[in-house]
Amino acid sequence: MITIKHDGCIFCVGCSSVCPANAIEAAGTRMKTYPERCIDCGLCVKVCPANVIRMYKGAKSEKDLPPEAE
Amino acid sequence: MTAKYDHDAIVIGGGPAGSSFARVAAGAGMDVLVVDKRKEIGVPVRCGEGLGSMDMLKQGLGLPRACYSTEIEGAKVYAPNGKSITWKGKDTGGWVLERKFFDKWLCELAVEKGAKVHTYTRAAGVIKDAKGRPQGVRLSHGGKEPYDVSAPLIVSAEGMESMIARELGFKTVHSLYDVDTCYEYEMKPYDHENLIEIFFGNKAAPRGYVWIFPKADKKANVGIGIGGMVQNGKKQGGLMGADPKPLLDDFVKKNARLKDASTLLDFGGVISVGAPIDEFVKDGCMVVGTAAKQVDPIHGGGIGLAIDGGVMAAGTAIKAHEKKDYSKAVLMEYDSIWRKEKGPALSNHLKLRKVLEKVSDDDLNHVIGALAKEDLDKVMAGDFAKVAAKVLAGRPQMIGVLRGLAP
Repeated sequence: MITIKHDGCIFCVGCSSVCPANAIEAAGTRMKTYPERCIDCGLCVKVCPANVIRMYKGAKSEKDLPPEAE
Repeated sequence: MTAKYDHDAIVIGGGPAGSSFARVAAGAGMDVLVVDKRKEIGVPVRCGEGLGSMDMLKQGLGLPRACYSTEIEGAKVYAPNGKSITWKGKDTGGWVLERKFFDKWLCELAVEKGAKVHTYTRAAGVIKDAKGRPQGVRLSHGGKEPYDVSAPLIVSAEGMESMIARELGFKTVHSLYDVDTCYEYEMKPYDHENLIEIFFGNKAAPRGYVWIFPKADKKANVGIGIGGMVQNGKKQGGLMGADPKPLLDDFVKKNARLKDASTLLDFGGVISVGAPIDEFVKDGCMVVGTAAKQVDPIHGGGIGLAIDGGVMAAGTAIKAHEKKDYSKAVLMEYDSIWRKEKGPALSNHLKLRKVLEKVSDDDLNHVIGALAKEDLDKVMAGDFAKVAAKVLAGRPQMIGVLRGLAP
């Protein structure tokens, strides 16, 4: 799954435009992720112009994230 | 309107494509609902804001003064070695827009024609009948309880994200190779010459370029776009990827006219520089503008094309409405007209983009040094032969790369 640092996000929806799994979309005024759909491909991380997306391979929900994850 | 449906058409997205569709369709008497997930039409701004004057003239719309920041006369293209060529002519003029006002103006024109617009309203999903044909969309205002709205025609004008288009079965996901990732500052002060400035260079902007779009009061949009597949930087978690911002910062630092300027706005985005999607229509639905990848692959510009796409789609939708037949067979007219009118030029530009990305900085210096203004007219019009011959006369070893321009 991925995490997004929302305060650095410029809300450009670039991540969702390249996501092959429909796992990220704009909702209201911030990006929303669907961890259960994420296939850990990392394309959103590579393309994010603001560099605010991080991938945690294998994690399926927040409880799988390491303690330092935001 | 038939009693069966709430509206004749629901448009997802109130950008230039959606508003233009709504303006024309509502103008012909259709009941059109436009929804936009953003709290305000036109905000946030996500692009360089350039628009060629030809685009608007064709539509017969006079651009209100508030909608643009400054007029431009043409472009100045810089080679990696700093040499430049100025491209100015009767067709090269245009505007650098204030997108916030421009988008809202286009949307207001639609409202004045009778379209209904709702902001902060997200389309959460498509409602389909037993045969899988779209019958409406599920909407949610401000993240609240969803509600269903029905229409025999759904128009996706969603821009890059295009989630509803995907749900309708259109292949709108972008590959990294067919996008540029961009970062941009609005800066001040910058003394410009009413020209858009474009800087090429594989080091400065791999598979892309840096641009300076002049704005009023000594302001400028200074941005960079680089290929989505470029791996120039360490992204979060150590993954290598495309990182435009450090390259832009480097450009600004090295540019004598910008290094002391302030930034007034940070923005950015991912733009499409690929080919249009394979089909723009299915039963009961159409895709217009950037959602359909109706963009210029050379620069990712899509405002003029979005307006044209919206207008063309509306022309066909009006006929479908009159016939009470929204089948793919009827809607296909829009697809055919668009491809006939826009297809050839854009596919030439895609060819040119694919050649440009293989040209070394040294060769770029040669090419830009060898070209005259008239040559740029020819290249942008897709007439490559004479210009390629001129370039090859001075540098025959480029034949391998330039072969990609052959018809």
